[in-house]
Amino acid sequence: MYFLHKLLWELRRDPALAARFGEDPDGVLAGYELDPAEREAIVRRDFRTLYDLGANPYLLYFCALQIGVSRADYYAQLRAGRDGGNA
Amino acid sequence: MATLSGVFATAHSPGLTGFPERADPAKRDAVMAGFGEAAKRIADIGPDAVVAVSVEHFTNFFLANLPVFAVITSDRHLGPVTAQMSEFLRIPQRHYPGAPELAGHVYRYALAHEFDPALADGGFDFDENFCVPLELLDTGDIPVVPVVVNGVNPPYPTPKRCYDFGRMLRGAIEAATSVRSVVVLATGGLSHWVGMPEAGQINEDFDRDFLIRLESGNADRLTDYDDAVLDAAGNGAHEIRGWLVAAGAAGPGTPFETLAYEPVPEWLTGTAVVAARMGAHT
Repeated sequence: MYFLHKLLWELRRDPALAARFGEDPDGVLAGYELDPAEREAIVRRDFRTLYDLGANPYLLYFCALQIGVSRADYYAQLRAGRDGGNA
Repeated sequence: MATLSGVFATAHSPGLTGFPERADPAKRDAVMAGFGEAAKRIADIGPDAVVAVSVEHFTNFFLANLPVFAVITSDRHLGPVTAQMSEFLRIPQRHYPGAPELAGHVYRYALAHEFDPALADGGFDFDENFCVPLELLDTGDIPVVPVVVNGVNPPYPTPKRCYDFGRMLRGAIEAATSVRSVVVLATGGLSHWVGMPEAGQINEDFDRDFLIRLESGNADRLTDYDDAVLDAAGNGAHEIRGWLVAAGAAGPGTPFETLAYEPVPEWLTGTAVVAARMGAHT
């Protein structure tokens, strides 16, 4: 989980890295030792899966905004099929 | 020797400055009146420094090296951290003056009194944690000593440890020689969820109960929280740890006054402003 968190944190802090992630995700991910499930989810921008894997919600949410997933889309992903959301 | 002249705590929701218009007008007015009252009291005090206590939201610190407590001793602090955040918060980016002499004293005093905060002697930037309340409290160029408490990644310091850190902080302030008058300001909370499916919900029962405990000034009641109770008010509710530091600084038996409380879903938070009744005792 450390490298996933590191990726989320660095994508948020470094707009150039976030832009490169959009163009060449494999190239960026080569620098991070992700589990296959983490890797597949971040490539698909599947924040629901990353949340269920136990990633820190602050790091997830801020990263999503930085790589072009809107606040509404992020929360719609997390609430899909759940009770308790108010989206 | 300096005086702890006031202790305040407020929300730091981005919506307070970034999108105030989304809130119900009556609630917004009540909250802004609370900030206005706190701002007036701080202006009347005219402190030489503000010791500001909050979490920070991975703007500076990360899991490679995550302090439980940290004292920031820089001579200035950039905030908001990026132009993008400045635009989002509608707060102009600037350098807030630090108080390195007081901050260094607090750091040394903490270690001498068996607390072990991390040191950040530069490169510490503000996010909404400090920018939003300092803007609404209109603190201008009053030097700021930031103190960070981990409330963003479990496990967290216990409520009692936070309260005791605050008692130590008061001792440090009263032993300071570089300033005469200091205000402590905690920021964050109350109930809210960040990056979680429940975002936008408010746990009003939790919020009002916490305010009652603050108003009581009773240290045992204030520190009687386990993580499950806080989790039921959202990951953001763990930010009350900063408020517990402030309550410890105000001291056992010192009651707080609630200047404003409104549950504001559009700002995603139970939104409160409080002030200690300095000199009163329950």
